[in-house]
Amino acid sequence: MALHVPKAPGFASMLKDGSRHFSGMEESVYRNIKACKEFAESLKSAYGPCGMNKMVINHLEKLFVTNDAATIMQELDVEHPAAKIMVMASQMQEQEVGDGTNFVIIFCAALLEAAGDLLQMGLTPSEIVGGYEMALDKALEILPTLVFDEIKDYRNEAEVLKVVRSAVMSKQLGNEDNLAKLITKACVSILPENTAFNVDNVRVCKILGSGLGNSEVVHGLVFKRNVESTIIKKNKAKIAVFSCPIDIAQTETKGTVLIKSAKELKNFSAGEETLLENQIKDIVDAGVNVVVSGGKIGDMAMHFLNKYDIMAVRLLSKFDLRRVCKATNSSVYPKLEKPSVEDLGYADDVYVDEVGDTAIVVFRVGTNESRISTIVLRGATDNYLDDLERAVNDGVNAFKAVTRDQKLLPGAGAVELELARQISSYGDTLPGLEQYSVKKYASALESFIKVFSDNSGMKASEVLAKLYALHHEGKTTYGFNIEDGSDGTVDVKDIGIVDIYLGKQWAIQYATNAASTILQVDQIIMAKRAGGPKARPVKGNDADDD
Amino acid sequence: MAAINILNPKAEFARAAQALSINISAARGISEVMKSNLGPKGTMKMLVSGAGDIKVTKDGNVLLHEMQIQHPTASLIAKASTAHDDIVGDGTTSIVLLIGEIMKQADGLIGEGVHPRVITDGLEIAREEAMKVLDLMATPADCTDREVLINLARTSLRTKVHRKLADLLADICVDAVQCIYENGKPLDLHMIEMMEMQHRNELQSTLVKGLVMDHGGRHPDMPKSLTNCYILTCNVSLEFEKTEVNSGFFYSTAEAREKLLASEREFIEQRVRKIIALKKEVCPAGSDKNFVVINQKGIDPLSLDLLSKEGILGLRRAKRRNMERLSLACGGTAMNSVDDLTPECLGYAGSVYEHVIGEDKFTFVEECRNPKSVTMLLKGPTKHSMAQMKDAVRDGLRSLFNVCQDGVLVPGAGAYELALSKSLENLQVQSRSVLGVKLFARAILIIPKVLVTNAGHDAHDVILKSMQCNGQGDTVVGLDLDTGDTLLPSAAGIFDNYSVKKQIIDASIVVASNLLLCDEIMRAGLSSLKG
Repeated sequence: MALHVPKAPGFASMLKDGSRHFSGMEESVYRNIKACKEFAESLKSAYGPCGMNKMVINHLEKLFVTNDAATIMQELDVEHPAAKIMVMASQMQEQEVGDGTNFVIIFCAALLEAAGDLLQMGLTPSEIVGGYEMALDKALEILPTLVFDEIKDYRNEAEVLKVVRSAVMSKQLGNEDNLAKLITKACVSILPENTAFNVDNVRVCKILGSGLGNSEVVHGLVFKRNVESTIIKKNKAKIAVFSCPIDIAQTETKGTVLIKSAKELKNFSAGEETLLENQIKDIVDAGVNVVVSGGKIGDMAMHFLNKYDIMAVRLLSKFDLRRVCKATNSSVYPKLEKPSVEDLGYADDVYVDEVGDTAIVVFRVGTNESRISTIVLRGATDNYLDDLERAVNDGVNAFKAVTRDQKLLPGAGAVELELARQISSYGDTLPGLEQYSVKKYASALESFIKVFSDNSGMKASEVLAKLYALHHEGKTTYGFNIEDGSDGTVDVKDIGIVDIYLGKQWAIQYATNAASTILQVDQIIMAKRAGGPKARPVKGNDADDD
Repeated sequence: MAAINILNPKAEFARAAQALSINISAARGISEVMKSNLGPKGTMKMLVSGAGDIKVTKDGNVLLHEMQIQHPTASLIAKASTAHDDIVGDGTTSIVLLIGEIMKQADGLIGEGVHPRVITDGLEIAREEAMKVLDLMATPADCTDREVLINLARTSLRTKVHRKLADLLADICVDAVQCIYENGKPLDLHMIEMMEMQHRNELQSTLVKGLVMDHGGRHPDMPKSLTNCYILTCNVSLEFEKTEVNSGFFYSTAEAREKLLASEREFIEQRVRKIIALKKEVCPAGSDKNFVVINQKGIDPLSLDLLSKEGILGLRRAKRRNMERLSLACGGTAMNSVDDLTPECLGYAGSVYEHVIGEDKFTFVEECRNPKSVTMLLKGPTKHSMAQMKDAVRDGLRSLFNVCQDGVLVPGAGAYELALSKSLENLQVQSRSVLGVKLFARAILIIPKVLVTNAGHDAHDVILKSMQCNGQGDTVVGLDLDTGDTLLPSAAGIFDNYSVKKQIIDASIVVASNLLLCDEIMRAGLSSLKG
């Protein structure tokens, strides 16, 4: 664009039309803090076991009913830059640990809110950031000392159960026992001997109808589709997997059939038939009775497969194909040829089943041999199933975290409170200006107890005082009790609510880093929004969009 | 009514005093904006692009590039300083600040009736003096001395990123440079690849003495981790390619078609077999040696299958620049045909493994014998933090590159600016140009002043204190931003590049003189058409 001879003085006139520029404490720092606070305010009520669900309609008008922070954030499409930094920190937590996303948001916002108070006291952002970093170092130093339990053997279902249960509890209160059992069973059964546990190996198959109580774990795979062949059940299946279509092979170069007489035409068709029959017969001779193909299965091939009593399954995704290989321990053939015996897979049963009105193909592998398991979830509505799936994902991720690090922290807010207590007394020992921000850091950690009590309808200050009293006596495993009729405190050892060390450690780090980044920004320069069609006709009312 | 309006009634213009005041206000405006970013204690700026992407930075170069400046004078300054960054790699913010300050000081003098020409003449004299002072203060540096390099990289990096991260990155930069540095040859920074990985946090960034590629083996059965590997880098198509001319097969029986099908594959399979034969030659059965093929062109599923059956890890569609780096890192030569494969053209790496993060696969080629190309693995939790690191590392590397070229260093921490100001104040000039010289002596102090202000100290206090110290003997005194006191830069290990300082003085004086001597801004165009 052409330059103009400028008229008005000031920096704003130097920028391109439509860009916005905010600078100074008032415009950028306070504004960011306010936006983040408001954003977290709306997520707060979804935190913890008593958290409320949110109904989110995304830009594609799809409806979500969930209290999973990661999903809410993803679908909300946050635009405010500072809130976006918070969201990114939380997404990183999702990638790294798979749980604790809401923790990051609430903690980060609490830190920023506390920073707002400090700024009003006259501290500079860099002093606050310095203090927060000292507090973070201290927190990471204290955290290992708070470990109160350890999973000795993560192949032991009973031991792992309590971790998974705590993770699921915050998403599906009331169903946690049922779900946690399913998840642990699915995870423990497929644990590889020496390589790392892969979250992808626990599949979820959602089938509408019935209730959660009818959900089950299948060792092997379940696909929501029908088979191609007329044979729909095979016991002790020998499986051959082909990534190519099962049909007459085509050359890459264009082929033309050169026929001079009717006889030749007849011979050609006959020749093709025998050729295909031979190929399929080869497969049969190798002992195969189930064929899985990544491409289409030709009519003629189908005829021969049926003739030789072979069950044929067609899978559209090459990843599904690989999963079948993994589950049944076979390898993929890129072209139609006689498979060697060691490349064949084995499954106890391969069959078509009808659950509700959905046809499914089940590859059931022997109990302890499968490397993949599937949790078949049943539920009344799509939204409910989606929410169950998210809970399962959190549970599986919790299990993964346990396979990497077996240390456990007391849950139910106990660990946050103890950190707050110790960091606050650490703050007292500091000489400089940092002590204020270190103490505020501690009070930000308290906010979790406040959120818990707000969400379950108790008086935050009372519970907080009681818990502090208990912790001072050295009962550091006391946490918040959501049950009615109690005084709000409970020893988490008794009720078995645990947090994973790894998850907390990363969450605290990501939240503090995000808060520091936001605080260090003193100017925001926003370019004009790029053109193009507006993606969403219905604008969600983002609290942070001012 | 200006003359130009008679010629073109639609022209926009600003004349004489007005033009000058536009220039001065622009220069001051842009330096006001950049001010808070200077130095290790500077704050960050958040830039939001049109698509909503976030960038958090305090690198002047990045800022000026991203800000989309429309003001002609401001964009002139921005272009001058970013061009400077392209040459020496650092000091962008300093130039903008210095230009702004010169203009600000000049504003006062011009208000008192001094002709701009007098000022620019004085600036020229000041420049010559500045170069003399710079040469005096330069101390020779041994660019094989690790300590010197680390100090230098640290000084540059600390102004861009967090202190802890800066120290780590300084180590990484120096290691990387020392790895690829060959005495007597100019440093080629392209041989240091930067790979971003969204994972964990910044402090886990490392230097890989080898190569990291952002893709993995495409066959599920290929090995994920190999040790003691021969590496074949090649640029040979291992997939079926259609002929250029229109071709077709004619057959009349199914058997004939099968034969054609087989011979069609034969062409590619022959190539694969040659590679496999080489593998068998260098890795006889039972040995602990392994084989990796890295191909710039494609490998189709059937060929992948053949390779994986032999336990060969095959990577397809490697980037061109990686092919060049591979042969530098692992040795061996990149092959363009499989006809003359010999064991001599193979490279070697102690360990090759695949690392999967979410959807992304990375292949590490490590433990090379004598790597002449290395990879910096930058890790960060978010995109903007990685971008920030990448910009910082680039500057860190450039500063090392500069010292290898210059062979000398200048004490940092504002020491040079303080000394220069002092020596200009004492300079005897027998003409009116003295005004310009004195002006520059005051203007150059903006750098230490802003450094101190950003750290939260009182600028005048600290400057006065250090000026007094500078007077005694010929010790070089700089500023300690943590305490607001003075320090000895050489003892604290704070050094700047000679060429960067030289460029800062040069560029700012040239641009400022041009702006001062400009008496009319006009735009004679068809402004009525659009925009």
